[in-house]
Amino acid sequence: MKLLGSKYIATGVAALAMSTAISTASLAETLIVASPNVPEGFDGDALKAHTQNVVTQVYENLFAYAKTEVDGRTVLDPNNVVPHLAESYTVSEDGKTWVFKLREGVLSPYGNELTADDVEWSWAKSFAQKRTGNFIARVSNVTGVEAISKYEVAFTLSAPSAILLNALTLYVPGIYDTTEVKKHATDDDPWALKWMESNTAGFGAYHLSRLRADDQALFVANENYFGDAPYYDRVIYKEIPSEASRVTLLKAGEVQWIDRPSIQKVVDMQADPEVKVERATSRSVAAARMNPKCDLFSDVRVRQAFNYAVDKDALNKAVFAGQADKAGSIVSPIIAGSAQDYWVYDFDPDKARALLAEAGYPDGIDEPVELLYADAFWHQEPVAIQVADMLKRVGINAQPTRVTTSEMRARAAPAVQDMCFFTWEDGPIVLDAVYSMFLMSHSAGVSNRAGYVNADLDALIDAGREELDFDSRLALMDDAQKIWAADAPWILAAYPATFEAMAPNVSGWVYYPDEHERWKELRGD
Amino acid sequence: MSFTRFLVRRTLTVIPLLLGVVFITFMLIRVGGLDPVGQLAGPTATQAEFDMIREELGLDKPLWQQFLIYTGNVMQGDLGESWLSNRPVLDDMLERAVISLELLFWGVGLGALIGIPVGLRAAFRPNGKFDQTTRVLSLLGFSIPTYWLGLVMIFVFFYLLDWAPPAIGRIGLMIFPPDTVTGSYLIDGLLAAEWEAAWSATTHLILPVICLAIVSAAPIIKQTRAIALEVLSSETVRYARACGLPERTVRKLVFRNSAVPILTFVGTEVTGLVGTMSLIEYVFAWGGLGQYGLNAIVRGDFTAVQGYVLALALFSVLVFLVVDIIVHLIEPRSELS
Repeated sequence: MKLLGSKYIATGVAALAMSTAISTASLAETLIVASPNVPEGFDGDALKAHTQNVVTQVYENLFAYAKTEVDGRTVLDPNNVVPHLAESYTVSEDGKTWVFKLREGVLSPYGNELTADDVEWSWAKSFAQKRTGNFIARVSNVTGVEAISKYEVAFTLSAPSAILLNALTLYVPGIYDTTEVKKHATDDDPWALKWMESNTAGFGAYHLSRLRADDQALFVANENYFGDAPYYDRVIYKEIPSEASRVTLLKAGEVQWIDRPSIQKVVDMQADPEVKVERATSRSVAAARMNPKCDLFSDVRVRQAFNYAVDKDALNKAVFAGQADKAGSIVSPIIAGSAQDYWVYDFDPDKARALLAEAGYPDGIDEPVELLYADAFWHQEPVAIQVADMLKRVGINAQPTRVTTSEMRARAAPAVQDMCFFTWEDGPIVLDAVYSMFLMSHSAGVSNRAGYVNADLDALIDAGREELDFDSRLALMDDAQKIWAADAPWILAAYPATFEAMAPNVSGWVYYPDEHERWKELRGD
Repeated sequence: MSFTRFLVRRTLTVIPLLLGVVFITFMLIRVGGLDPVGQLAGPTATQAEFDMIREELGLDKPLWQQFLIYTGNVMQGDLGESWLSNRPVLDDMLERAVISLELLFWGVGLGALIGIPVGLRAAFRPNGKFDQTTRVLSLLGFSIPTYWLGLVMIFVFFYLLDWAPPAIGRIGLMIFPPDTVTGSYLIDGLLAAEWEAAWSATTHLILPVICLAIVSAAPIIKQTRAIALEVLSSETVRYARACGLPERTVRKLVFRNSAVPILTFVGTEVTGLVGTMSLIEYVFAWGGLGQYGLNAIVRGDFTAVQGYVLALALFSVLVFLVVDIIVHLIEPRSELS
């Protein structure tokens, strides 16, 4: 085996030394987060409302993104991951076996030390649940994880993977303190999923101390945490259902953080000195998706016509208060390899009409075309209304139609996909062009929710998944984005941008691809 | 009819009523598009996993069979498990019912305490200045959207004036709630002599209670006035006045004769306000049954929605029963039927 991980050891040690120097003694500080809901579960594999917001604070992984400064601001460097719970790794010549050496002396809040058995059990849990963690395993080609010594764990891959280390930065498959978790497992519930509905056992900076359903969750700092003690030693995650109340509480200094404010509130708060609003270009894309399996959208000219008919600048102003970024690819510009130039569908109603005529609709489309929306994302409804209005101007009788979020999720599942036209938002949790394309445009991608299939595109993405050379991967994805843009299966509305609102004295926020702050990085001094 | 016979008969009539509620709620939810399978299955689920979850929830069975199973479970006190809280719906609701009842008690109590005397006084001098002012105010109370009223009160009394505590629920964030005895932080705080908790619970009650009182007082004022005017023009009162009884005695007579219809109206009002209370609980992050039901509806937690609607129906039946009993105690000659 070839040792590739030694440079990471140096990086990790340097980072640790630097952060130790700036660390402060544990302060009795409380961060109060006002959120629409209290988390309804704490299992990263079975995401419920607000689960993701908090498991990211509890479960840390073998690697983490390095940070860099851009325009005086700290951001993640998606092309540079550094060891976290791991210390180093080796990889076999064929790229299919990776052995990770774990950091020694990492303790959970229960006082148990991290071992290779924990990693093996945690991945086995994700494989068994066949949900989010299993998907991460599949896209990174991981087929098995096995402890080979107390501190060494081997990952077996079906094919080389260029995104494995990126995947190992995620909260899922989370690394559990299995000494604790196994105490709560039963024959009927071997993974202790029932216990995980209201408990946590990770090696991260925080753990759940107390939970009152529909009211609040109290997290306390892990006293045994291997990294620096966080500034906030308690985090109260408080349910405040009304957004207006959340904003008022933030302005009054009663809470220090509010969860994902709406764009209208962002605009108001940006002018308010009592609130600090941070912004980052989003890794996700808001769009109206057309299902090529439906008769109407099976003709690429119709899909292109729909795109030409929509004025994206007007959409940005009307829906996103001009705060979003114009979208030119399915791959966000914050990801290396994003090709924005192939998206040629600037607003051109005449061209839209001409394409419709070519496709056999010289008088437009009089039959009602349902544009479904739900409330999973705040912008779904206004995007649907604006898009429908713009389409009407070129003779397309689009009708915004509301469905429940649960119905939309169910109908968008890979096994169903029977919606012809609907608004949604998706983005990759791994900042990688191949992963993004696989997730949202490959025929096997779980976020390819509208049944789009192109064999040439699939082939390029599959090749990209096994290609380890960075530049070659980007070249493949450049071609893939070109094909996708020509097929025009989505009306790209915008990259909606991520906003976080906090008290003016809170600092340290860094944008993560899961779009959740890390409490351990925040400071209130 | 004897009192006991009345109770037995009323209880028996409640059963078909509740069965009807269970049936209608069950069917409305099933045809209304609430489907938790998509959310439970997660984004990577295959068709087989969808089917498995559907089977686990019993959704693969014919509708009539699902209904029979659900009704059978309900009769045994099993309302199912909420997929949001992962707990039995009945436990969830029992915990939250006290929280909502506390708010309802103080809110409607205050509303009635203001509404009844104001309505009576307005009726004694119809079209006078007091009556006209009252009519405008009660019209305002009718027309102000509850949600907006709550937000305005928070903005004015918490944010601008700093007179009220923040709208973060029933107790201050930094105060440890007292051990649960009744479920009311105020009462439990007093029982445990935890004065800080009791005080915090009291202060947190003020704005939502006033909000609910305003909403409930407006119709009570209007209805009390109408009832009292009717009693004032009745032959009994005209006869009393003709006999030269002092005005004070006449007013007592009016109050006594108005008591039954007013009480009946307040009972109706209480059941009607339960829906309004959901919004108040939502704005003030109250965490009661109303917020639970609203959340369940929005999030597609249909076992919780079914339980919530059933609880509301049961609550209405109980309120009307209690009203009937109180009316009978006030006016023993009234028919128990």
